[in-house]
Amino acid sequence: MAYIVADDLKYRYPDSADLALKGLNFTVEKGEFIGIAGENNSGKSTLCQAFAGLVPNFYKGAYGGKLTIGGLNPASAANSEICTKIGLVFQNPYNQFSGAAETVFEEIAFGLQNIGIERSEMIRRIEEVMVLLDIADYKDRNPFDLSGGQQQRVALAGVLAMSPEVLVLDEPTSQLDPKGTSEVFGAVEKLAGKGITIIMAEHKTEKLAEYCDRIMLLKEGEIAAFDTPERVFSAGGLKDLGIAPPVYTTAAKKLGKRDKEGYYPVTLAGALNALNGEIPEVIRRLYPKREQKSVIRLENIGYSYKEGVRVIEGLNLEIDLRPTAIIGQNGAGKTTLAKLIKGLIKPTNTEEAHGDKSEKKGISPGEKSGQISEEYCGDILLYGESTLPKTAAALSSKIGYVFQNPDDQIFKNTVLAEVMFGPLNIGFSKQEALEMSLKALDKVHLEGSKDMNPYDLSLSERKLVAIASVLAMDTDVIILDEPTIAQDSQGKQRIAEVIKELCEEGKAVIAILHDMDFVARCFERVIVMAKGKILAEGFPEDIFYRGEVLEAAGLEPPHIAILMQRLGGEGRALTVDDLKDSGE
Amino acid sequence: MKSISLYVEAKSPFHSLHSFTKLFYLLTMIIVPAAVGTIGAFAAGAAVSLFFLIICRLFKKSLPFVIFTLTVILIVFIVQGLTYPQNSVVFFSLGNVRFYKEGLMYALRIGLNFWNILFAFALMILTTKPKNMVEDCEQIGLSPKFGYIIASVFQIIPQMTSTMSTITDAQRSRGMETEGKLLTRAKAFIPLLAPVVMSSLINTKERAMALQVRGFEANIPKTFLYKRNLKKTDKWAMSIMGAAMVASIVRRVILWLI
Repeated sequence: MAYIVADDLKYRYPDSADLALKGLNFTVEKGEFIGIAGENNSGKSTLCQAFAGLVPNFYKGAYGGKLTIGGLNPASAANSEICTKIGLVFQNPYNQFSGAAETVFEEIAFGLQNIGIERSEMIRRIEEVMVLLDIADYKDRNPFDLSGGQQQRVALAGVLAMSPEVLVLDEPTSQLDPKGTSEVFGAVEKLAGKGITIIMAEHKTEKLAEYCDRIMLLKEGEIAAFDTPERVFSAGGLKDLGIAPPVYTTAAKKLGKRDKEGYYPVTLAGALNALNGEIPEVIRRLYPKREQKSVIRLENIGYSYKEGVRVIEGLNLEIDLRPTAIIGQNGAGKTTLAKLIKGLIKPTNTEEAHGDKSEKKGISPGEKSGQISEEYCGDILLYGESTLPKTAAALSSKIGYVFQNPDDQIFKNTVLAEVMFGPLNIGFSKQEALEMSLKALDKVHLEGSKDMNPYDLSLSERKLVAIASVLAMDTDVIILDEPTIAQDSQGKQRIAEVIKELCEEGKAVIAILHDMDFVARCFERVIVMAKGKILAEGFPEDIFYRGEVLEAAGLEPPHIAILMQRLGGEGRALTVDDLKDSGE
Repeated sequence: MKSISLYVEAKSPFHSLHSFTKLFYLLTMIIVPAAVGTIGAFAAGAAVSLFFLIICRLFKKSLPFVIFTLTVILIVFIVQGLTYPQNSVVFFSLGNVRFYKEGLMYALRIGLNFWNILFAFALMILTTKPKNMVEDCEQIGLSPKFGYIIASVFQIIPQMTSTMSTITDAQRSRGMETEGKLLTRAKAFIPLLAPVVMSSLINTKERAMALQVRGFEANIPKTFLYKRNLKKTDKWAMSIMGAAMVASIVRRVILWLI
């Protein structure tokens, strides 16, 4: 008998009319690596939580059918049995920490203490998982002080130390930067093949294809496909399921290249095999003609959060009407740069950390985060006028900023009221604010949700509400901080359309991004940052083929650029659109 | 991460004591001077704790406590010096205002007792990690759930503070002034507070699930990563303090009976 058996598994959340899982039937063998893909709200997280018994035990609601894991039914088993057999790692590394441990070592011990593991065995297991996941160097650090990738590995260690037979990972890298993502996937790679059954829900289909034995595609709570990655991603109709197949598969489809079994390749190795040394023809990228106009100019800007530690140093930059992506690892200074442009922080001179000397330069007392010293040098100009004497609130009619986490701003009862908050603040009449907000909601395809409570929407939809709330302010400059986080392929498509429309309207769009495929697809200018400095800037096809710059910034180029480089081609393709159709 | 705990990482005789010994010390410093009941006993109690604070190099750290309480004690002196019911002997006058000896002595007694307890308390919290204290209590029967609530506060509050500053930035970005006149700040109250509460609730829900996955509801007797046993010094110290408490109480009872 199969190790995991789902027999007509159904579930409906309380206060919901629709089933989140609609009678799933599947089996999984022990030691298999299963990937779960699907658009947002397709049931991925619900299924992950059903494996751990949180559905229905935590949420309550209506549960039907049966799920057994090695003979254990998580819906009825005791917590002590479930947590020693099934481990679950969530999306957000920060929220899954116990919150009661002061060090990484103690954090990993938390679960082991709860299930009564003897002290010597506890220490043995902690040391083992720390070595396995390469976190032993941080064992005495506070888990909250680590980077996202390190935090997620600590969370994984906390679960693994409990020696589960099944490890369920619910989009473990959705909120991480490229370095954090590769750290976590590196850890997952180590676990694969160790006999542990792994189930991973993930939007990054390239990664699923690389690691998984089989992939389950979910659509509105039903299984649309459950087969090997090659078969699943070679099939047609994926767009209707809200799935973007691996970039390599899309490229192979366009080029008409299949593997020996007749399937499209799903991994880089598979694509290289299928191409067999053949170098695809590349279409030269053409960008729309834009008005040559300097919108923002930064002159010799520096910033320190702590005295002596420069986050931004001697930075000069001009932003024009080309959509501009700022890329770099966490800590490179991207968000600090965006906050300086927005006026949330003010530059400091070379010696000083932000202090309390604001009044000396005529800065309003309201500007508490970062002030200017008397020896301050440099300036930030918006259409030639210095922004330094203005507060962030005063600049909000000119510069919009969408924060990474939408929950940092949402407070109104309805989506429409939330979106109207900004325009009303900057002096538009109620009627004008209403019209602008409806237009903004239309842009992000959320006009149908305008009367809903924002907190009844998913995280990806709340992110779109946050974007709409800034679009409604009709600013000349829009800064987007990680707009694609938690978005599925449809959500990314909506954001790509929004960026395109904004540029057509003559707005300056600046985005901080970790998704290089998205950068390659939507942006005409790329700025690479590392250690508070700009390493390079230019057209995406130039930047992503400058290996030394990417290496210095700790970045990887888009998947198609990797493929082209491995093939040794001259053409600078970045996306599948840059490849010439084979005509097959 | 900025901690809200007052614990000072250092090596001192008090740091090496078991948290129960320090709790016992606090109890002793409350009971013994109260049972003896003289101003001298309160002064001696305060002096002993102050002496320990100095030799543990924690006097500087305890100064904020002293400064904070000075105003309260000053008020007690003024109020009691002027209005204590048994006031009869004028101690000094400021113009027409007369301060009486009885009231001032009573205030001195209150003030010294206050500092006695304060210094003993400071000694305990400056030398004990809250988490260790909670764990020690859990090991003798405190509910792990109650212990978790106390321990998590010290980690989660600083996190909420940092969320608050991001929320402030997010609302300022949408044109809302958050500082300045009282009315401006009042207007900013809901837009700042609501996301803090909502994101805390969301975080709490996710954290509750994560705790469940990690066996928090397992109903298995909990084991502990660290076992801090009472050392010889702790046992000796507790025996002496216990004897002092018993002796002072017995003396007080005898005095009552006579």
